[in-house]
Amino acid sequence: MAAAGILFALPSILGLTLFTILPMLTSLILSFTDYRTVNTPKFIGFDNYTRLFDGTDPYFYNSLWVTFKYVILRVPLGLVFSFVAAFLLNLDFIRGKSIFRTIFYLPVIVPAVASSMIWIWLFSPDLGLFNSFLEALHIPTLNWLYSEKTVVPSIVIMSLWAMGSTIIIFLAGLQGVPRSLYEAAIVDGAGALRKFFNITIPMMTPIIFFNLIMGSIGAFQVFTEALIMTQGGPNNASLFYNYYIYREAFQFGEMGHASAIAWILFMIILIVTAIFFRTSKSWVFYESEV
Amino acid sequence: MKKTKRFAALALSTVLAMTVLLTACSSNEESPANKNGTNKTEEGEQITLKFSFWGATIEKKTVTEALERFEKKTGINVEPMHIPADYITKLTTMVAGNVAPDLGYMTSGSGLSWAEDGKLLNLSPLMEKDPDFKKEDYLDQVWYETEPGNIIGMSISVQGYGLMYNKDMLLEAGVELPPTEADKAWDWDTFIEYAKKLTLDDKGRNALDPEFNPDKIKQFGFQYDPYNMMAAVVSNGGNFLTEDGTGFGLAQPEGIEAIQKLADLMYVHHVSPTPLQTKSLPDMALQTKKVAMTVSGNWALQAFAEQEFNLGVGVLPKLKESNTLLDGAPMVIFSSTKHPEEAWLLYKYMADPEQVLPLIEGGLWMPLKKDWYTDPELINKWAAGNKAHPEGYTDAFMKQTLENGVRTPGFEVKNLAKINALVTPALDLVWTGKQTAEEALKGIEPKVQPLIQGYYGR
Amino acid sequence: MQKSRRISQIMVYSILIAGAVFCLLPLFWLIRSSMMTSLQIFEMPPKWIPEPFQFSNYAEALTSIDFFRFFRNTLMITVGCLAGALISSALGAYSYARLNWPGKNLFFSLLLASMMLPGAVTLIPTFIGWKLVDSINTYWPLILPAWFGSAFDIFLLRQFYTSIPRDLDEAAYVDGAGPLTIFMRIIVPLSKPALIVIGLFSFMNSWNDFMGPLVYLNEEKKYTLALGLQMFQSIHSAQWHLLMAASTVVILPVIIVFFIGQRYFIEGITLTGMKG
Repeated sequence: MAAAGILFALPSILGLTLFTILPMLTSLILSFTDYRTVNTPKFIGFDNYTRLFDGTDPYFYNSLWVTFKYVILRVPLGLVFSFVAAFLLNLDFIRGKSIFRTIFYLPVIVPAVASSMIWIWLFSPDLGLFNSFLEALHIPTLNWLYSEKTVVPSIVIMSLWAMGSTIIIFLAGLQGVPRSLYEAAIVDGAGALRKFFNITIPMMTPIIFFNLIMGSIGAFQVFTEALIMTQGGPNNASLFYNYYIYREAFQFGEMGHASAIAWILFMIILIVTAIFFRTSKSWVFYESEV
Repeated sequence: MKKTKRFAALALSTVLAMTVLLTACSSNEESPANKNGTNKTEEGEQITLKFSFWGATIEKKTVTEALERFEKKTGINVEPMHIPADYITKLTTMVAGNVAPDLGYMTSGSGLSWAEDGKLLNLSPLMEKDPDFKKEDYLDQVWYETEPGNIIGMSISVQGYGLMYNKDMLLEAGVELPPTEADKAWDWDTFIEYAKKLTLDDKGRNALDPEFNPDKIKQFGFQYDPYNMMAAVVSNGGNFLTEDGTGFGLAQPEGIEAIQKLADLMYVHHVSPTPLQTKSLPDMALQTKKVAMTVSGNWALQAFAEQEFNLGVGVLPKLKESNTLLDGAPMVIFSSTKHPEEAWLLYKYMADPEQVLPLIEGGLWMPLKKDWYTDPELINKWAAGNKAHPEGYTDAFMKQTLENGVRTPGFEVKNLAKINALVTPALDLVWTGKQTAEEALKGIEPKVQPLIQGYYGR
Repeated sequence: MQKSRRISQIMVYSILIAGAVFCLLPLFWLIRSSMMTSLQIFEMPPKWIPEPFQFSNYAEALTSIDFFRFFRNTLMITVGCLAGALISSALGAYSYARLNWPGKNLFFSLLLASMMLPGAVTLIPTFIGWKLVDSINTYWPLILPAWFGSAFDIFLLRQFYTSIPRDLDEAAYVDGAGPLTIFMRIIVPLSKPALIVIGLFSFMNSWNDFMGPLVYLNEEKKYTLALGLQMFQSIHSAQWHLLMAASTVVILPVIIVFFIGQRYFIEGITLTGMKG
């Protein structure tokens, strides 16, 4: 048994060590050096880290804060939104499921050059659809991506629209909920709501848990939207942590410093994930552990 | 069961197919090296140079063709490496992995800082040794130097700035056409008055009309990218750093005044779109008559030449003195090259305007050599009688750049990327009308000061 | 009762249709832009129907870059990764979900942790690693890692496997089946929707991957479609109409693959439904 276990996991163990852990360790070492990618790294102790915490680096706390705001909005909204979408798409009476599923996945497929144009139009303060809508309802219009207050929520809205991957994972999970359970519940006279909360949700907890973990890991590392839509602006209000790392590493050429910044993010995500795993024992239902 | 087997069979055949494909490709790889077997040097060693560059379709084609001509002429192989995006990320990994190209385009910031770490070749010895090469033949402003005597290269092309406008719109509004000679340049008040005449609201009233409604502007007199504020700053006698290289020039009175005047175009005179309004403007605002005048570098002429409107050019309006910005990015030789002499030959070849003529003629580049700005026969090759170089170009762009071109900070300011990371967010506040130029720039001055390291090449 | 069900069905449909319209917007935008002049694309407020239809964009786009070579290269990398990702991740996840071996929890934690460090800081160490084995400007750095499992895929499949009842394995063990037989006969058939999801994601990722090919490939004849699309844009200019036309052609296979892939999804339901 153990031999088979190791054998089956061997490719992934090898790959993990070679392609991921080795480079990670290298970057951990580099985080204690002055490394500008073109010089020989020079050991400088904790300097890269102290520069962050003592405020010498003016962007650190700001980008942490901006990223936290994004994560706190994006993770729960993303989970609820995609779960509901998947659930509706999976209802028995829906016709044209194939078409609907493909359409809901489209935002993930269409390249950013096209979708960013759409968003620039939707968010446009003068001519945009969102503001025309607000105007029609006599609600004050917003500056969306172009104001420090609303830029993060606007990017959250954009990211919710491209939730296709999470929806698909939930859909795949819903296929695995045994029909017999629903049939038994109907015999017991359960209504739609009770079926949803007593069968669908508990049976889906391993997948919900997966999407919670991956959603958090992904949200902490949000990057592309900042790069394409705002370049961190206005006034650093969307300088997400990962964008900040990229800028340090490749625009400023400060690879050692960037590594230190990245390892702090690593620790934060690790702690958050560990907390989720701790709590998971009380709410995630694994069939195989019964 | 059957399905599982089918799955396994499919997987297996995929693996096989892939292996075959990969082997096929790696054997393909050998052929190009043998292709030019006739060009081998006497020692029997074939020299190959890797040349890395960026650029859209036309630039890619022109540069590749020039490299091929060089191959034919010299027998030295050239591997063109066209990097379509994220240039500096790619080059950084290559340099870090010690597999840098032999020569190629660079960005100015990383270029100068890599040179300090010894990653780029000092071209001075090569230039001195070369009897066919005279440094004086090239524009004085195009050289990148980390310190006196350590020259890492010249700009890929010359990019002078100027005023570009839709002639028909100015004629319709009865505005005199912008002057093309430096000593006749509009002063700022004249410029504002004309810009106001060219700014119309939804009822067709211009910005001089007391009834003018600045919330419903249909046509703007003047559009520019405010982050290109350096043109106004140098015209006002200021610069990015102070002359001695120890102070933050933008926060000096000349810098602040110039930047405030640019902001006033949006919020006081209402002749320029704010950053928010710019988001609703199309890329081609001149052709669609949403904007009458704009400021840009020479490269924009290429795109304008492809559009259908009556393009005109002029010198920039002046604040104190009439001058212009000269922008660029360096072409460099990497110090890891094994063939510096051959790399220099190619470098020289690519700096020759004749070899990249389609880009120069098409309006994307200005030539590096002085005689292309003075010798009428050479001027005829590029700046006369084509759509990208309208009447007045020779004065407004060529003469102005040659005589009054002030280099952008990218050529010489140390630590520019980090300073700009503070300046850009501060200017965000100015361009959105939240702070005055003085508040914003004085506000970041204490943070900028420790980052100031002076000028390269002085 | 019947009436209220009707109403709720109509509500669900209207939500889905509203969502679908919103999701179709970018594709529609892309396609209409692909048949416009670059001038029309940026008109504000936007025009929804090109006039005239400029179909020539397609021919021009496909000939102004070496489209078919890039297509072939991309297909090769994509297929190479797809096969590897499915096999290695499925086996790995089975091991982590169902088998017991010393160090399992440690490696699983490392697997998860490997996703938590931003790629910007591991790019150069990884690149140098590939250079040490002389693989720069080859497809190995793009394909080989897929054959060693991805953390995302393994974690996802593990979550699916854990919800397959264990009695099924137990029964098979009693019949004398080994772990490989159980994997092939029970786990794989019962987790088909999940495997399809992994396959679709793997396809998408390698088809659209931009950073990998950019960093590892040097010669244009080895470039992929994602790199090719970038050739329509540069710092100062872009041929938007050609970019849109080429992008439309590039995403077409993805849409087709997705559409076909998710149909097996339905087949997956009935299978799992009956056996589960």
